[in-house]
Amino acid sequence: MSPPSHFDFIEARDKFTVATKNAVDTRNCKPLTTAFSHLPGNETEKKATLDQALRGVLEEQIVNQKVNVDDFLSLIYISIDGVTEGICSATTPFLLLGDVLDCLPLDQCDKIFSFVEENVSTWKSNTFYSAGKNYLLRMCNDLLRRLSKSQNTVFCGRIQLFLARLFPLSEKSGLNLQSQFNLDNITVFNKNEQDSTLGQQHTEVKEEGMDVEEGEMGDEDAPAPSSIPIDYNLYRKFWTLQDYFRNPVQCYDKFSWMTFIKYSDEALAVFKSFKLDDMQASKKKLEEMRTSSGDHVYFAKFLTSEKLMDLQLSDSNFRRHILLQYLILFQYLKGQVKFKSSSCVLNDDQSLWIEDTTKLVYQLLKEIPPDGDKFGSMVEHILNTEENWNSWKNEGCPSFVKERPAETKPIRPSRKRQAPEDFLGKGPDRKILMGNDELTRLWNLNPDNMEACKSENREFMPSLEDFFEEAIEQADPANMVEDEYKVVRNSNYGWRALRLLSRRSPHFFQPTNQQFKSLADYLENMVIKLAKELPKDIPSEEIKTGEEDDDENGDNLLKDSNDSPSIQSKAVTNSQMDEIAAKLGSQWKTLADHLEMSDKEIRVIESDSEDVDLQAKMLLVAWQDREGSQATMESLVTALNAAGFNNIADNLSET
Amino acid sequence: MGPVELLHMSVFSQSFSPCGRYLAAGNNYGEIAVFSLSAALSPDASERSQKPILNFTAHDGPVFSLLSTESHLLSAGNGEISAWSWAELIKKSTKAAWTRKPNYETSLEIPEINAMIINPKDNNLIVGGGDNNIHIMDMETGTFKSVLKGHTDYIHCLSFKEREGEILSGGEDGAVRIWDSRTNRPVHCIEVFKYEECARPQFGKWISCLATDSDWMLCGGGPSLSLWHLRSMSPTSVFPLSGCQREAVSYQDLIMSVGEGPYVSHCLHGGTVKAQIPCSPSSLNTLALNLKNTEHRVMTVGGSSHQIDVFTNFSYRALSLSF
Repeated sequence: MSPPSHFDFIEARDKFTVATKNAVDTRNCKPLTTAFSHLPGNETEKKATLDQALRGVLEEQIVNQKVNVDDFLSLIYISIDGVTEGICSATTPFLLLGDVLDCLPLDQCDKIFSFVEENVSTWKSNTFYSAGKNYLLRMCNDLLRRLSKSQNTVFCGRIQLFLARLFPLSEKSGLNLQSQFNLDNITVFNKNEQDSTLGQQHTEVKEEGMDVEEGEMGDEDAPAPSSIPIDYNLYRKFWTLQDYFRNPVQCYDKFSWMTFIKYSDEALAVFKSFKLDDMQASKKKLEEMRTSSGDHVYFAKFLTSEKLMDLQLSDSNFRRHILLQYLILFQYLKGQVKFKSSSCVLNDDQSLWIEDTTKLVYQLLKEIPPDGDKFGSMVEHILNTEENWNSWKNEGCPSFVKERPAETKPIRPSRKRQAPEDFLGKGPDRKILMGNDELTRLWNLNPDNMEACKSENREFMPSLEDFFEEAIEQADPANMVEDEYKVVRNSNYGWRALRLLSRRSPHFFQPTNQQFKSLADYLENMVIKLAKELPKDIPSEEIKTGEEDDDENGDNLLKDSNDSPSIQSKAVTNSQMDEIAAKLGSQWKTLADHLEMSDKEIRVIESDSEDVDLQAKMLLVAWQDREGSQATMESLVTALNAAGFNNIADNLSET
Repeated sequence: MGPVELLHMSVFSQSFSPCGRYLAAGNNYGEIAVFSLSAALSPDASERSQKPILNFTAHDGPVFSLLSTESHLLSAGNGEISAWSWAELIKKSTKAAWTRKPNYETSLEIPEINAMIINPKDNNLIVGGGDNNIHIMDMETGTFKSVLKGHTDYIHCLSFKEREGEILSGGEDGAVRIWDSRTNRPVHCIEVFKYEECARPQFGKWISCLATDSDWMLCGGGPSLSLWHLRSMSPTSVFPLSGCQREAVSYQDLIMSVGEGPYVSHCLHGGTVKAQIPCSPSSLNTLALNLKNTEHRVMTVGGSSHQIDVFTNFSYRALSLSF
């Protein structure tokens, strides 16, 4: 960077540095503003230099080490003031924060983070939000990476809470959009007998005894090898189950499902037989336990030593965890998840088993003391609400903020209390107020429902005369209409005619000894009978043409519904999307332009996944979300053709 | 052994070896099977390790009682008692160390032996069975020293109270008799079926299980399983178990009991049934706790099946040994 001749960068920076130190000492941003206004040069140059100076001062502070947290914070405060004054760029406070957090040990980070938490409102203000949200997110993620998930649970939780407060509810960046599983969460246990810790301990104890502590070999205080019998059979099966909870998609594989069922049945049988009792602990003791250990029981990770198995089985909280895992798994397996591939469907046996086992699990949950009943119903409730989230996600995570309708009516000053006669419809205009204009209108169409149903315009059945006019005319030999052109030959007309006859004409139910070969013959006969009864006023030509039109319409309708619906008008299915996505691969962006995706949406898709196939799939899903029922194969094929993917489009229309 | 024999097999008695690593079980065919618990409980256990390591015919009639001393396994058959050295058994040799017969009044009938216990104080073996009498054998010499007479029907079960040196016996006549082992005289007689709270006339009056723990006694059979306070000679709690109980053991604050029905009942001292743990035989005769060896601390139950269920944790069946 080469500063222009009239603006000396080095000099300006030094001046700012001095001013900054001054400002930190007085805890006031005044010196900076004065320095800023006194310096020559244009705004952007000065801003950049000031940013640089602030970072320089911070670096010095950090290197100095004896500076305490408050000094960092006051520097950051000054930078915030600077931003509001317009003398440094909006990203500076975030850069400073990031620098501080990167360089400090965790306990001091805690204090800095309290400051970050206190200033949520600042970060959310217009000046800072757009500039800083990415910095803050990155900063939080960096911190989370440094923290231990099992040790610093509180701090981790604070960071998550902060993020939740910072970002609006509709922010999708933190959302597991594609419902992926955390596959890294592998529960390690001893799968084969050689690795058993029990066996190892034996040898270790022996070796120690022999090599190291020769003198004490005979001593009784040598640790006795594990003192409880271990049910390895159950142990292995029990912990194998965790793998299914980790990656539920395995359940759709036939063989792993069989093992899953087998092992689950055994594990649950143990739970069923091994009842926990609450009776030994008296109430007083229980209360003591509650107050001393707190109500929280949290397993960061299951401990899987064989020796713990027995204790774990008698631990009610452990048991609840496992049973809850079952319920969560079942919920996933049964539920509709958009990103489940189309092959992931349960067969009848599986669903039946799941249903039975769910019942069993709930029963077991309710048996676990203390407060099993309460826990069970609570879990049921929570899982039900989970369904709502699921469907929200399936709908493409619509925003929670309801759009206000465009034409907002001025709010009428409402009366304090509704007059009862208004409500009961006994008001002056006998109008019943339904609380909503449209409802009120509909409700007051006619005060008497029976009357409304009887009204003329509810009558949809045509009269005999109207309907058969044309047929009667054609039946008249004088008109010389050839048989094949008669309306009675039309099966559609014939069917409607029969229905009408059954409702309106006494002739329909009269026994007759005549035999009719076809419906047309029968109708012909009926038409002649009707013609005799009806008053003779020959209809005009115009009406006739009208009738014909109607008939044609009817025909078309019938044709449409008879034909198998072509692929073009169908909605795009999940499997089709998979297929297209696989073919598109890295070229999805070309299609994106033709699907009228905005640049922003494309960027979101890009940032959500590395995998091009997934990106392509997400593009299609986003398009489907946007278009709703308009997302038909037809429009997709058009877009594909326009984007030059004729081969993909052709393949699709063939299938 | 054919499938029919397996189908009709009943396991009547069990005993753990003094080291706690082996389990001996006797069935209705007079056979004794020795299982290796350490093999069956090891991590690399297979089907084979659930089979006996040794299976031999010990007596002509059913083996109703098995007992382990410090070095020997005692088995009771029809009228005779045999001893087998555990050291020899483990080496798979099946030669009896000795066989003794109590002095029966008549030589015409051979009464079965239903129960044996050891009086560790005097190193006596106490034997009870079909001749209504209790015989006391000196383990040192192998001679029968005395006979306790009093029961009017055959004896089902025996128990020994070490502190007081008292022998308890329960029999088909419905009485629990308490004997002083020093004087060999009867001290008390409780006729359980006469107490209304535990009487169940529909099942009979016989007493088939007895267990004692300091001042407390558990007894059951035809009458309901009940916990008795021996000083006051009164039942303190009666357990609402449906079938007749064959064996009951008190362990820590639990009472485990087996009998009719395919489950082990866990009872609390207060008189409530805490749990009934399912197991494979349809009815159970014997329950044993291995407390000698902490590494193999298990509970085993056997009954009208060739399978013996092993519980590592008392609350669920871990595996089944099988004849």
